[in-house]
Amino acid sequence: MKGLELIRKVFALEEVERVPWVPFVGVHGGYLTGIDAESYLNSSEAIIQGVSKAVEEYQPDGIPVVFDLQVEAEILGCFLQWAPHNPPAVVSHPLSEGTTLEDLKIPTENDGRIPLILEATRTLRKKYPETALYGLITGPFTLALHLLGTDIFIKLYEDPDEVNNVMEFCKNVGIKMAELLMDAGCDIIAVVDPMTSQIDPLSFETFVTPFASQIFDFIREKKKLSSFFVCGHAQQNIEAMCNCNPDNVSIDENIPLDYVKNIALKKGISFGGNMKLTVVLLMGNEDDVREEALNCLDLGGKKGFILAPGCDLPMETPPENIKAVTDLVNDPYKQDVVRTLEKQDSVLEVFNMKDYGQADKVIVDIITLDSESCAPCQYMVEAVKRVAPQFEGVVEWREHAIKKMEAVTFMSSLMVKNIPTICIDGKIEFVSKIPPRGELIAAIQKRINQKLKLRIKSKRSEILILGEKEECRELKSVINRAVTELGKDLKINYISDPNQMATFGITKGPAVVTINYKLKSEGTVPSLDVVKEWIKEL
Amino acid sequence: MSELLSKIAECIEFGKINKAAPYPPQMKGQDGADELTRQALDEGIHAQDILSKSLMIGMEKVGIKFRENKVFVPQVLMSAKAMNTAMVHLKPFFLSGEVKQKGKFIIGTVEGDLHDIGKNLVSMMVEGNGWEVIDLGTDVKADQFVAAVKEHENAFVGLSALLTTTMVNMEKITKAIKEAVPGAKVAVGGAPVTNDFCKKIGADAYSPDPQGLVEYLNAQVA
Repeated sequence: MKGLELIRKVFALEEVERVPWVPFVGVHGGYLTGIDAESYLNSSEAIIQGVSKAVEEYQPDGIPVVFDLQVEAEILGCFLQWAPHNPPAVVSHPLSEGTTLEDLKIPTENDGRIPLILEATRTLRKKYPETALYGLITGPFTLALHLLGTDIFIKLYEDPDEVNNVMEFCKNVGIKMAELLMDAGCDIIAVVDPMTSQIDPLSFETFVTPFASQIFDFIREKKKLSSFFVCGHAQQNIEAMCNCNPDNVSIDENIPLDYVKNIALKKGISFGGNMKLTVVLLMGNEDDVREEALNCLDLGGKKGFILAPGCDLPMETPPENIKAVTDLVNDPYKQDVVRTLEKQDSVLEVFNMKDYGQADKVIVDIITLDSESCAPCQYMVEAVKRVAPQFEGVVEWREHAIKKMEAVTFMSSLMVKNIPTICIDGKIEFVSKIPPRGELIAAIQKRINQKLKLRIKSKRSEILILGEKEECRELKSVINRAVTELGKDLKINYISDPNQMATFGITKGPAVVTINYKLKSEGTVPSLDVVKEWIKEL
Repeated sequence: MSELLSKIAECIEFGKINKAAPYPPQMKGQDGADELTRQALDEGIHAQDILSKSLMIGMEKVGIKFRENKVFVPQVLMSAKAMNTAMVHLKPFFLSGEVKQKGKFIIGTVEGDLHDIGKNLVSMMVEGNGWEVIDLGTDVKADQFVAAVKEHENAFVGLSALLTTTMVNMEKITKAIKEAVPGAKVAVGGAPVTNDFCKKIGADAYSPDPQGLVEYLNAQVA
């Protein structure tokens, strides 16, 4: 199940197999098709192309047709300043500049950019019958703020009647816009009211609730679905938003998802959000995005949750990042993988144990809960304690009681999973069972022998005699005699090829080069820093 | 004297502008910041004391409540309005030099950004805490900031941005300011800005709320 059908189930708070995914593609659609924000938001053709591209690339269950909270304001006389990478900004507020409320008229299907938005909606409806189309309208408080400017905040106290009148008008605008968008084919009307994040719950209930509720009632009468979008620090108003009776609330990263979940589900309302827009989707890489998406999926759960970005996607969000979300949403196995990786990462830090236990002495580590309070731990520590002196200083032992954080890190660095455990030179040897004396001695002895063998093997040397046979004869006999007298096991090799001699910087013999072979590691790949140390010795 | 000063502080804290103002309901019919400031001056209380022992105290309380999500933008604006009403009476003493401000603070939204609610809030809080604020408005380019920093010696600078796309201009502006006046201190803020970002672009201070900026500024001149 997917698309509108899936979203309907979520809105009805039914358990679903897969969480639906609604990327809020606004001017990002222009980015996908290579045009600037202003051209994009002024052409139905551009919007159709941008959304189509997004639908094909991101396989969303739902998508907004247009994400621009300035459409109504522009028609009502607010001057817009356009920008290439953002939706436009309102720069004038008619009701604080001489225009009266009576001068303003409810927009119709022929005003401003409404015709092109409706055309885009109708075309996309036909093209993608199964995808939920979100029609966005400017929330009444945000529209009132566009019209009045920030004076609205003071007027909440100084002239509440005027605010109420403006809100009444803005509500009527909202209802008209919702009607037009639903008639053109939108399934879900999102009332986007970010400015409500700036007011307290009492002001919200006094000045927003009566009007927003009427818009949601109207949408319900028309048998369509509704969502209340807010961005910013609006945590204080979530309950009041739910009380306006929308079918869904959608929030951004400023509000914890589980906080919204608790309130919304209690009120019988679905909820959505709240992937981090800037630091993750825009600036992060695909791994960051997957982790973030999974976090939201796990918090949101499979009942009543829609995965979405916190708000309108920044225009230049890398498409790979959005695709990473699509892949993750559709693939439970990938979710498991990310979940597992995440857990490993969360073990704060892991020591680099690659070269642990390569020193001359043999190190025995005992990982315990605490040998003073845990009997098996105590016996294990005692077993080591008794055996160690036999090796006359060659064996060092330590206890790591995991009541200390450092010991926990040490434990996970050695990949120890059980308590108590004995490790010899960083290798797990005895798990949970206390080793009998003989076995413990044998294990330590085995490691000592290994190290000894290594040391002997490492003492290999070679002498090179360079030059023509004739000129080296005397030299050769001197070296042979020296080797015999010293009883050394070393190889003598001859190089007479001028090219090979030249690699040692020698043009003419006789010459001697000695080579000391030193075994530095066996069976492991040493870390870069260690190799650098070796090279420094040369 | 102290009772009158604490009454004025209360008017600022709760946004009581004057006697006629209906807000807040619990102070209806009482004298507001307007009447009480006049009265304090008439009683011979120094303008400096009115500023630092009453107006600033009230603004600080609002700033803290705002930080703690106990009040929101409308209430802060009411407090700022009450503050401004009181300031009208104190202005002559600023001009005569009897009242000393803590320093100068230049503020503006960065190039490309027209959203000024946050910036206005910050300038009111900073002003209410005894600073002279030079507000350059919205969409302010690097050279405008630089010119202002050169004109107002030792002034601190505040850059505001609401959008992720305009936020990046902060780096350019910060660099330009520091190049022109090496010792200049630049604070940044706005919805998408973080402390990491502040450090990355070489700015000197970031605060998620206006009160934090006020505290930073005060600490610089303490």
